[in-house]
Amino acid sequence: MKNMKKIVEMEMPSIPDSRREFLIRLLEGTATATVLMVFGPGASAHGPETGISGSLEPAKHNYAYIIDINKCIGCGNCVRACKRENSVPADYFRTWVERYVVRADGVYVDSPNGALEGFEKLNKKFRDNIQLSRTVPKMCNHCHNPPCVQVCPVGATFKSPEGFVLVDHDYCLGCAYCVQACPYAARFINPVKHKSDKCTWCYHRVKKGKLPACVTVCPQKARLFGDLNDVESEVSKIFEKDHWMVLKPEMHTDPTCFYIGLPREVV
Amino acid sequence: MSNPSPKAHLVRLAAVLVGVLVVFLIIKQMVVPDSWNYEEWYREGALALNASEPLAYGGNESCAACHQETNDELAEFKHKALSCESCHGALADHVTDGVKTAAAQVDDESTWQCLNCHEARVSKPEGFPQFDKVAIKEHTEIEEGMLCLACHTPHDPTP
Amino acid sequence: METLGLPGGALVNYIFPNNAHVVWSIMIVLYPYITGLVAGAFVVSSMYHVFGVKEFKPIANFALIAAFSFGLFAAVPLLFHLGQPQRAYEIYTTPHTTSAMSIFGYVYSSYLVLLMIEIWIIYRRVFIEKANEATGVMAIFWRVLCLDITTYNPESAQFDKKVAKFLAGIGIPWACLLHGYVGFVFGSVKAVAWWATALQPFIFLSSAIVSGMAMLFVMYSFIMWRRGGHYDYVLVKKFMISLWMAFILDYSLEVLEVTFVSYEQGAHWAVIKPLLLGPLYESYVLGQMGLLSIGPLLVLGIVSLLDIRGKALLYLANLGSLMLVFQVLVMRFNVVVGGQLISKSERGFVDYEFEFFSKEGLLTAIIIFVAPFVTYYVISRFIPIFEGKSMDTEPKRGIL
Repeated sequence: MKNMKKIVEMEMPSIPDSRREFLIRLLEGTATATVLMVFGPGASAHGPETGISGSLEPAKHNYAYIIDINKCIGCGNCVRACKRENSVPADYFRTWVERYVVRADGVYVDSPNGALEGFEKLNKKFRDNIQLSRTVPKMCNHCHNPPCVQVCPVGATFKSPEGFVLVDHDYCLGCAYCVQACPYAARFINPVKHKSDKCTWCYHRVKKGKLPACVTVCPQKARLFGDLNDVESEVSKIFEKDHWMVLKPEMHTDPTCFYIGLPREVV
Repeated sequence: MSNPSPKAHLVRLAAVLVGVLVVFLIIKQMVVPDSWNYEEWYREGALALNASEPLAYGGNESCAACHQETNDELAEFKHKALSCESCHGALADHVTDGVKTAAAQVDDESTWQCLNCHEARVSKPEGFPQFDKVAIKEHTEIEEGMLCLACHTPHDPTP
Repeated sequence: METLGLPGGALVNYIFPNNAHVVWSIMIVLYPYITGLVAGAFVVSSMYHVFGVKEFKPIANFALIAAFSFGLFAAVPLLFHLGQPQRAYEIYTTPHTTSAMSIFGYVYSSYLVLLMIEIWIIYRRVFIEKANEATGVMAIFWRVLCLDITTYNPESAQFDKKVAKFLAGIGIPWACLLHGYVGFVFGSVKAVAWWATALQPFIFLSSAIVSGMAMLFVMYSFIMWRRGGHYDYVLVKKFMISLWMAFILDYSLEVLEVTFVSYEQGAHWAVIKPLLLGPLYESYVLGQMGLLSIGPLLVLGIVSLLDIRGKALLYLANLGSLMLVFQVLVMRFNVVVGGQLISKSERGFVDYEFEFFSKEGLLTAIIIFVAPFVTYYVISRFIPIFEGKSMDTEPKRGIL
């Protein structure tokens, strides 16, 4: 982010030293050309921590996915939509929903068929003395520091300039090293295509101006997708409140999937 | 040839190795995809490949394109926030290239779509309307196999 | 929750939906195993060629040919494992240097080339003799192999010796790199608790040397038995002492790893403890660390420290070596498959079942594993691997 400030000073001395204003201008396209001329194409547009890639081009978009645990009812609409939208084979999931039941004697977790058909009534054995129960959608976290991208031996998975972690299906070897490296089990080897598969945040939809399929069908608006660089977006407003959590922060993957109201029992 | 130098075989071996290396490098150069991004290490063609996946879900705006009337009515309904496709199925199963190919029918022979959201579960948020057989008086008379739709309208399911 | 044997206070076994399948199975167990045999066998050969351990002279060439035979098939399990094996060339064309796996293509290939050159230098005299004797197609074959130099003079022999020593010398770090990196591939995966330790490269390397030596000895015994039982007991004794020491180092590292994680009582131990006491109890606690380690330590200890000779020495040496051959195989299984049995949900264990007839099943594994031995046999039909005469003229050494 410091770099970005420098660019502002260098290229647009007349504009007040405000990052936000710069970004708005950037979004409108006025500054883009100048920046591109200076720093060239092909550079990455990662999130806040661009130190890894060494690239100086600031992010045009900073997409974020926000999941509100307090709103999710565990209907599984998202799982069904994802399966249909992305032709996800049976028994594998680009997104799934887990049910957590916290009791004094431990934690009960299940996700019957990824919650493709929602959740049955909880087994009587676990229904009593519940302290907390929530349904938690899971998916690829589109990390800023993705271990899957790091370990891919041939560059068949990568962070797109827009910040999506994608798989090149015409290039993937199917070695499954990325499957091992992902701490979230968001990846799998597609049993039909024999290639690595994962959530793309519906890249093909977002590119056409649509929302990801799971966001489209969520009846509770528990799933939100948007651009944090767009101050008017829903995600920005929620994000500003700063009550979010990420999964497995100890893995230092720096996810861009943020959870609201995440119980501490969720792994 | 009869009396080669003691290192002649190594010179020839080196020549073979250099030859193999040159062939390898030439092939490597030819095989690397044209759109290879050497900075981020991926094939830029993969972006277009990923973007070219077909859309299945259109979102409510695509439903409104043909069903404007229903869409207008919806604004007043309890279920206005829902996605049409979550009950009616994906757009792609209903329309191809702007032409209707199959009915976007809901499963109205069972109660599962209603119960899936509204049957009481401990994991659901407290404020969410949840159906519990015992708690609602009218529901105590429900017989096995009775449909929710017999009493409730799906788009505006006021009690 | 300890009574249930599940981590994370889990009341029921919960695994992430995508964790239901163990994606790295028998093929990935076999790959580091065969790679290890290459590295181990090469080290034995280098003991003579570089460090001048005279006792190992009779098996120096044998070790080299065995290493080459295994080396040819080290990558084959990977090809069977890949979902898109036809794209395997990409590891050479666009190796992603941030990935530990990306150097595989280059390290493996260059190592194989190094092995081939080493063998070529050592066997050049044989090739030249064959080229001068043979007729027809075989003559052309041998001539090409000699690079059309069909005289062998003392100066070049002298020079070859130096080159062989040099290659064997750089071969040692290369073999260590090849196998240490395989351990790195596993050790650097932070998402898999049972793999993620900086000791992994050293454990893989030391166990590679153990398995390579043990396998070499079993092969040696078998070949000598087929040849009429002319065992070199001085060699056997020396070999067993070396193997014993190598295994003590290996076992110490393996014990250190688990002791450290256990003593540390960190996040990893929370999932590793129920793994070792649950799904891996038989294969790890009883097998790898118990019977298959304590057994060879005792047997080889007895062989090394006591004055045991003749057939008793041979039988004990074979018993110890065979146990080590299996110890390392089981160790590879426990690491590769064992690590994946911990679901990333950290609240459950994956069920693993052996497959037999599938693409990555046991049958494929057995066929791949037999292939190096067949290759060795074929090579031994063409070139002399044990200098039979020198062995036969010194039978007295065997009596001690």
